[in-house]
Amino acid sequence: MVATYVKRAYSSFAAHVFDVPPRLLALLLFILLLFCPLVKPGQSIQLILRDTFFFAMLAVSWDLLVGRTGQISLGHALFFGIGAYGTALLYQYLALPPWITIPIAILIGISVAPLIGLPCLRVKGPYLALVTMALPLILSAVIKYGPITHITGGEMGIGPLPPLIPTELFQRIGFSYRESLPLVELANYYLALVLLFVFSVVLYKIANSKTGMIFVSILDDELASKACGINVTRYKLMAFTISGLFATMTGAFYAHLVTIVNPWFLSLMHISFPTIIRTFLGGIGTIYGPLVGTHIYFILDRYVLEKMVQLPFLTYTQWTYTRLLIFAAIVIVLIIKWPRGIARFVTDKLQDLEEARDLDERGKWIWKTYKKKKME
Amino acid sequence: MIEGIIINGAILGGIYALLAVGFTLIYGVSGVVNLAHGAFFMLGAFMFSAFGPLGVIPALILAPIFVGAIGSIVYRLTIHPILGDDVAIMVVTVSLALIFQQLILLRFGFSAHVAPLVEGWTIIGGVRVSYMKLLACALSLGLFFSLWIFITKSKIGKAMRAVSQDREAAMLMGVNTERLYMLTMAASAAFATLAGVFIASSLLAGQASAYMWLQPLFTSFAIVVLGGLGSIKGTLIGAFIIAYAEHLVANLAPQGGQIVAAVPIVIMVLIILIRPKGLFGKRIEME
Repeated sequence: MVATYVKRAYSSFAAHVFDVPPRLLALLLFILLLFCPLVKPGQSIQLILRDTFFFAMLAVSWDLLVGRTGQISLGHALFFGIGAYGTALLYQYLALPPWITIPIAILIGISVAPLIGLPCLRVKGPYLALVTMALPLILSAVIKYGPITHITGGEMGIGPLPPLIPTELFQRIGFSYRESLPLVELANYYLALVLLFVFSVVLYKIANSKTGMIFVSILDDELASKACGINVTRYKLMAFTISGLFATMTGAFYAHLVTIVNPWFLSLMHISFPTIIRTFLGGIGTIYGPLVGTHIYFILDRYVLEKMVQLPFLTYTQWTYTRLLIFAAIVIVLIIKWPRGIARFVTDKLQDLEEARDLDERGKWIWKTYKKKKME
Repeated sequence: MIEGIIINGAILGGIYALLAVGFTLIYGVSGVVNLAHGAFFMLGAFMFSAFGPLGVIPALILAPIFVGAIGSIVYRLTIHPILGDDVAIMVVTVSLALIFQQLILLRFGFSAHVAPLVEGWTIIGGVRVSYMKLLACALSLGLFFSLWIFITKSKIGKAMRAVSQDREAAMLMGVNTERLYMLTMAASAAFATLAGVFIASSLLAGQASAYMWLQPLFTSFAIVVLGGLGSIKGTLIGAFIIAYAEHLVANLAPQGGQIVAAVPIVIMVLIILIRPKGLFGKRIEME
């Protein structure tokens, strides 16, 4: 009885994953990430990948709003910052543990997103981009405003926040303090990976559901969608809220990971613009594109270029400047010459291979029947 | 204090008009929302400082020409191929701004000294005003009005207005839109350059910073949105409104100096949400 269910589940999984080359590749990459810290524990790549997972979630949530619905938001840092500041202020004034403050911060995100979305979505195109870009700047100006810095923490921020996985957890089961530090890092890594996995699957499912199709129809032709009886405003607001909700979650979790919240969480230069660059690197409007783009960006930038490449004529600071320059230039070239992005290029190639294989098999079959007929 | 607000606000308004007119020009003619406009402002101040050893007058002439040429080339290479795609244009122009910022950081470092064009100060109505501020305001308004006359009277100005009304019809009448767009971009970048030089030398104590592109970008947005996109008269009035609003907040609010930066942004958001066509915009494209 159980065996048949397992068998059926396995065959369904195999049909959905093993027989679709892009999904097989995604599975292999996921397994690679799963075993990465075990091969070389405590390496800097582990910390880089952990950050990568959080910014990949942010990029995916941005992609659902902009790539799927076509509502240009240049200020996704707003939701990231709301999540981070929400959980930090709740901890500061009510001293609640993270597993209570994070859900409340997410609730704040859910309630704030429609409030911001409702007036913003009346305007379109460049106007929407400008308003969304302005909001995180206004919020960070309010946070830095002199007379209320004792509440908001100002430039210095709020901290230290309690970590998501405290060292006491491991000390309680018999590890010493020194032994538990790498274990905490490892646990954080897997927590981030699991969060990323759940986020991406949920957002991918939403993007490919009926609702997701309606989002794309709004992107393609808003008037036609309206004519088909779709309540465009409602679906735009829905996309805005879903996207904001996931960005808020990411911000809340990331705040407890770095254990300090400051106006950096709202900065366009460090949160919003790099997220856009990463999404375009992978391919906008695909959900898996930003995932791939963020991984390529972080591994190239923080691991390969920062740790491995050293140019004699540039100091370390200058090299930091040059790295952002390189990525900005790459994105411009990609948008002009190759707007589909890297991830979609790979999946297109894989699909071509699959089609070629199908044709090949069909060709063999035709050849066989032809030979059979000839024999007869 | 009232005299201070009136006089300083008027000076700032004149320079802001010069800053925003380039932005409204390129939007009105080609429909490009140029997020790199603030980067041209920043680049201009640095280029003026780099050309400084040649003397004040040559630097003041060379810097706008140089930045205008950069703007025109960059427009042709990166923005022209994707004309019409709003998302792509915004991402490309933001990336351009980041590239300019990083290049400046690499070449000149975090900040540069922008020498004032003239020294000395005078007293007008009980307020100490430096000659530099007066010169900046006078030059800005002079350039602004000459641009206005250029657009209304000259043949190229007429072509610009024709393209902004109907691109295809203008092309049929023999207007080379590509060259016209490049020219508009060059003019827009050159005006931003001069605004950068004036603001850095007269208001920011002679210091140009590599990160000072986002703030002027929002100031020009706010002005342009307030006056109505594509309206030059609206730009002039919007510039003075924003300048006076900044000075009022800086002087009247408690610790107002810290939130001056947010004033144009808040005004812009309110205008977009309440009256998106601005004060003088005749039509608004909601699509």
